[in-house]
Amino acid sequence: MATVAVDSLLQNPTLSFRPKAKLLLKPSRSLNCSRNRKLLFSRGACFCGFKPRWKIHVVKASSIDTALIDTFDASSSDDVLYKESFTVKRIEKVAGKIFIRLDQSKDQRNWQLTVGCSLPGKWILHWGVSYVGDTGSEWDQPPKDMRPPGSIAIRDYAIETPLKKLCEGDMVHEVKIDFNPSSAIAAIHFALKDEETGDWYQHRGRDFKVALVDYLEDDGNMVGAKRGFFGIWPGVAVQFFNMLFKAEASHANSQSSSSESKDSKNENRQLQRFYEEQPIVKEVSIGNLVSVAVRKSPDTTKNVLYLETDIPGDVVVHWGVCRDDAKAWEIPAAPYPPETAVFKNKALRTLLQPKDTGNRSRALFTLDEELVGFLFVLKLDDNTWLKFKGNDFYIPLSGASSVPGQHGESDTASEEISSKAYTDGIINGIRNLVSDLTSEKSQKTKIKEAQGSILQEIEKLAAEAYSIFRSSIPTFSEEAVLETKAPEPAVKISPGTGTGFEILCQGFNWESHKSGRRYMELKEKASEISSLGFTVIWLPPPTESVSPEGYMPKDLYNLNSRYGTVDELKELVKSLHEAGLKVLGDVVLNHRCAQFRNQNGVWNIFGGRLNWDDRAVVADDPHFQGRGNKSSGDNFHAAPNIDHSQEFVRKDLKEWLYWLREEIGYDGWRLDFVRGFWGGYVKDYLDASEPYFAVGEYWDSLSYTYGEMDHNQDAHRQRIIDWINATNGTAGAFDVTTKGILHSALERCEYWRLSDQKGKPPGVVGWWPSRAVTFIENHDTGSTQGHWRFPGGKEMQGYAYILTHPGTPAVFYDHIFSHYRSEIAALISLRNRNGVHCRSTVKIVKAERNVYAAIVDERVAMKIGPGYYEPPSGPERWSSVLEGRDYKVWEAS
Amino acid sequence: MEVSVIRSSSSQAKICKTELAYRDLRFCFGKNNDKNKILSRKPNSVCFESQITRLRKTGLRFTVKAVHSEPILESKSSTRSKSLDRVRLFVGLPLDAVSECNTVNHTRAIAAGLKALKLLGVEGVELPVWWGVVENLAMGKYDWSGYLTVAEMVEKAGLKLHVSLCFHASRQPKIPLPKWVLQIGESQSSIFFTDRSGQHYQECLSLAVDDLTVLNGKTPIQVYQDFCENFKSAFSTFIGSTITGISMGLGPDGELRYPSHHKAAKSGTITGVGEFQCYDINMLNLLKQHAEVNGNPLWGLGGPHDVPTYDQSPNSNCFFKDHGGSWESPYGDFFLSWYSSQLISRGNRLLSLASSIFHDSAVNVYGKVPLMHSWYKTRAHPSELTAGFYNTASRDGYEAVAEMFARNSCKIILPGMDLSDEHQPHDSLSSPELLFAQIRTACRKHGVEVSGQNLASGAPGGFEQIKKNMLGENMMDLFTFQRMGAHFFSPEHFPSFTEFVRSLSQPELHSDDLPAKEEEATESVRMSSDSDIHMQAA
Repeated sequence: MATVAVDSLLQNPTLSFRPKAKLLLKPSRSLNCSRNRKLLFSRGACFCGFKPRWKIHVVKASSIDTALIDTFDASSSDDVLYKESFTVKRIEKVAGKIFIRLDQSKDQRNWQLTVGCSLPGKWILHWGVSYVGDTGSEWDQPPKDMRPPGSIAIRDYAIETPLKKLCEGDMVHEVKIDFNPSSAIAAIHFALKDEETGDWYQHRGRDFKVALVDYLEDDGNMVGAKRGFFGIWPGVAVQFFNMLFKAEASHANSQSSSSESKDSKNENRQLQRFYEEQPIVKEVSIGNLVSVAVRKSPDTTKNVLYLETDIPGDVVVHWGVCRDDAKAWEIPAAPYPPETAVFKNKALRTLLQPKDTGNRSRALFTLDEELVGFLFVLKLDDNTWLKFKGNDFYIPLSGASSVPGQHGESDTASEEISSKAYTDGIINGIRNLVSDLTSEKSQKTKIKEAQGSILQEIEKLAAEAYSIFRSSIPTFSEEAVLETKAPEPAVKISPGTGTGFEILCQGFNWESHKSGRRYMELKEKASEISSLGFTVIWLPPPTESVSPEGYMPKDLYNLNSRYGTVDELKELVKSLHEAGLKVLGDVVLNHRCAQFRNQNGVWNIFGGRLNWDDRAVVADDPHFQGRGNKSSGDNFHAAPNIDHSQEFVRKDLKEWLYWLREEIGYDGWRLDFVRGFWGGYVKDYLDASEPYFAVGEYWDSLSYTYGEMDHNQDAHRQRIIDWINATNGTAGAFDVTTKGILHSALERCEYWRLSDQKGKPPGVVGWWPSRAVTFIENHDTGSTQGHWRFPGGKEMQGYAYILTHPGTPAVFYDHIFSHYRSEIAALISLRNRNGVHCRSTVKIVKAERNVYAAIVDERVAMKIGPGYYEPPSGPERWSSVLEGRDYKVWEAS
Repeated sequence: MEVSVIRSSSSQAKICKTELAYRDLRFCFGKNNDKNKILSRKPNSVCFESQITRLRKTGLRFTVKAVHSEPILESKSSTRSKSLDRVRLFVGLPLDAVSECNTVNHTRAIAAGLKALKLLGVEGVELPVWWGVVENLAMGKYDWSGYLTVAEMVEKAGLKLHVSLCFHASRQPKIPLPKWVLQIGESQSSIFFTDRSGQHYQECLSLAVDDLTVLNGKTPIQVYQDFCENFKSAFSTFIGSTITGISMGLGPDGELRYPSHHKAAKSGTITGVGEFQCYDINMLNLLKQHAEVNGNPLWGLGGPHDVPTYDQSPNSNCFFKDHGGSWESPYGDFFLSWYSSQLISRGNRLLSLASSIFHDSAVNVYGKVPLMHSWYKTRAHPSELTAGFYNTASRDGYEAVAEMFARNSCKIILPGMDLSDEHQPHDSLSSPELLFAQIRTACRKHGVEVSGQNLASGAPGGFEQIKKNMLGENMMDLFTFQRMGAHFFSPEHFPSFTEFVRSLSQPELHSDDLPAKEEEATESVRMSSDSDIHMQAA
């Protein structure tokens, strides 16, 4: 990525979230300036990393058209000792300017602030205002009438407005902000962002500030300030700009029209027109090639080294040779190529000669045969040095290390080798000093070189063996296969049920975003969660979101969230997989937050990779003026609801889910708010993304009569079942019915509720157990939201119920890591031990006022409630294995 | 001289001290060796010679040095080198390296793998040889062709071969017992181990039929013996040269134990106690006779009635309870003594058979003893009891085992070296490390050498644990890493294995950091030329 002149901004995390501008304004003026300058300076001498590309020389050869290189190619391969092309990345700096103009608009009443930039890029003005009387330096959102079209609100303190090209073909972008000087706005603050690179541009390390009242204290970042010294600060800018670019840098122009200041009509305001320019530098990374070939001279005993590059401008090679692997620079004997000079008695400097054709330059070096290596670095005409991974380029002349076989190595392998060769060199140098055992040293190096190639050989062989073993049935599955219990029929995995033996862990609560490192926290717990007996973990919604918890997604392809970065997420998923857990992504498909407004100022134009417009929004929510079809479900009113009936929307979402599977490694989905759209679309999505497990959140209210919950909740569970049916059974659903009934049963001591009229469990689990994901709490119902909290202190009864019963139980994170942990762990281990699965049979043996008891698969007996129950003594002998507050569990022996 | 130095010292070695001594040593020898010559001899192989060899040689050299001047160094060096022997690293070949129809599976992959291992400095490979493959169709009809091909490949690769004779079956990959044996088993299921509920374990024969003529007029022991003898003659050109070790299959998974668990435990969960396997007719007969001899005929009617089932915890029934469990009763002692002695006798039968066949060959004979570590921290050690090891808080059950191995001059292979207490399931009472230490102690007492193996499943932190076990106070002479296959060579695993192999020779790296210490930090792999020098000098 290109780095930027005003680099310190990138390191300032407050900027991207920008809670308060205060922080940015705090540092004292002098400190800020000097830090900034230093950074800029160091940039100037900076170059980028660089990788040898082992295979490119083939391509390269064809593009080189000189007779010379042709002879290289034509000569038998024995002659060519070495041939290589290196890709070099260098930073080219493009200078331009930001201009700021304050002027009266044509109607003479309003004023207009114009901010522009002369460099290409996708420029965004990130801005806000402060009002008269504001203490502190926080930003506020400007009044609506001040916001130019296309603006987006960033939280409640800033606006982002894209800069527009003045005209096609012109480089200049600008944006105009109209405002009424009689409003209470004291200043406009802004920073400029380049969306292409993600870089921020500010004014001397802080926001630009345009004061609209004259008594505002100048914090040092004011532009167009009166008192005649607004030329001073830009002057500083010119100074350090020059340091960077020496003579050829264009001077920043700062011309002022403030001398022609006019009193505005407003008596309180002493607004003055001004025009000011600030130099900016954008760094663009450009790739070039450096090709080197060595061959034996046909008629002499010497080697000929040919070096060519497509780097424009004057390129000077600083070079030397070495006679051993210590790589000490030495100046060889003449002849030298033309334009060569000795530099400080240490190296030779040769200016590459431009070639007749193409924008290339080259040089030819004749070297004695006994030399071991050719060392060089390149100096470009902007004083940039190009090196090899921070070290000198090293070209072996012996031919030993450029046998053709080595060109097949992977990049990484070869990089390791070369860096190793370097360290070897240093070490040997030291050795040389200390022990003066020259012959020993070179021997050692040889061994090490041999070792390096042996390691590569090992890697190659291992890769070969791997590919063959992998293509046949892996012999390693020993354990894994033994683990599946022999008596079970072949396990069929379906997205609605997984293996049927799944136990879910909800890996977060409503506060989990606060640490900012949730993914890393979970990673540490991966093996612990797995060892408790869970098989599936549900992670929080991963996308960029307007709300920190993640349920107001914006750019679906941006997976940096308050829970961590996309890389951390990948790392987490990898660890979870290693721990044997399947991972569910929480995907919000019902709604999505827009990034732009339509012509009516309504937020329904999306940004990011899926830049849908209002056709993707359902038509029947007046808030969002969608132009799609009517919603196929209920509407969620806080954000535009997505119209899943649109082919393009579904296609994009399918691609997105597939991408999540591939890129992140998610195994399945927890689908948010599926009440909002038809289950048939869910089927479509699941068929496309082929999850291992999927569960939808279909949450609506149970039936109550006069405030008391009805015993019969068939209508409620029927709605959930209808949804599962619509998905064709490809997804399960959270068993909200069971949770609701457990609430009443436990809270009011009405355990009779736990049997329906037909003697079956009264929730979804009674009707379609394999698709019921039973739970007692989640981030919405419990945690700090507590929308529908499970009766306090009775959680273990709830778990004793769901962890012994059919369905797929889900355990809430807060409960796992609480004092309930050991009891929950024991219940899970009992469930696993007895092979209770989502289709297990349950026989309710008691459902009375104060006790409920059931026998599952004739292997597990359980009771909850204060009443008495003991399993019958029959052919099975029951032994009590677990007992807690108002619950007890037995196993048959 | 070297040998005497090593054997005479009795204190424990610490590697760090060795290094110290070794460095000094190097000063003495470093300069006047003709390194060029040495190097030219081995220009091309990476030497991962373990430090043990070097240290032993160090010991040798130290005595020389001591003669020169410094007695202090000598004492150091001798303590160093005493317990150090050379750890040889083996890697297991795929279980199904040879298919049922006696062809070599994925030959090319194995060939590439062998080459990679050789370059890496691995000593050899372990090859499971299955009864169900070689003698599959009819008794006495052996087909070794597939295994001979593998042996040739191994020899060609310059590696050693450790052969495991497998008289059991494998579930995955599926390698059953010989067809003719299974046919007999269909009509005569009592040849298999049987549990309380009457379920048969069809992956090996019950030890109770060892000496019964159940296999077409022959006893299983005779059949095993014929098999071994035939193996010996078929592989005579390899034995003693390429083949350096032979493991005798002793029961389920080749291990000396009862199949107290018919299914493998689910990982991450706490393993249950397992069940006694004494319910086939022949076992019950033996038990009955034994009870009558002991004057308690009523004790001979079956196994203990108050034991938990396979997956249960010890406390779910009375037998294994920590306090007042029936295992401590006279009946418990009666039963457990008998049950465990049967196992030791079976081990003795097979190992004496093997050692009598192979005693005149230059190979070591090994037997595998399981690491039944679940519930080790309870008093009753139920998992060990059901597996046939009468080892409790009050009785050492491994003494007799080690003694039996010693009697037959056999070495013990201990699997599960990669298991650490730290990674055992939460709240479990298992302790692989303590059990491991106990078995090692018994072995040391009886002079039985122990070699290690890991579980093929890759325990977390396994490499570290293996290293700890290998390089700790009790050195091992051989370690077999399980097992070659797709996972083994996968990018997720192979680099860490390489790292592991290299780290085994870590001390060697240290020894080289004169005069430039920086080296160890910066270099990824390095072979020390010094080791070559020593090898030559030694």
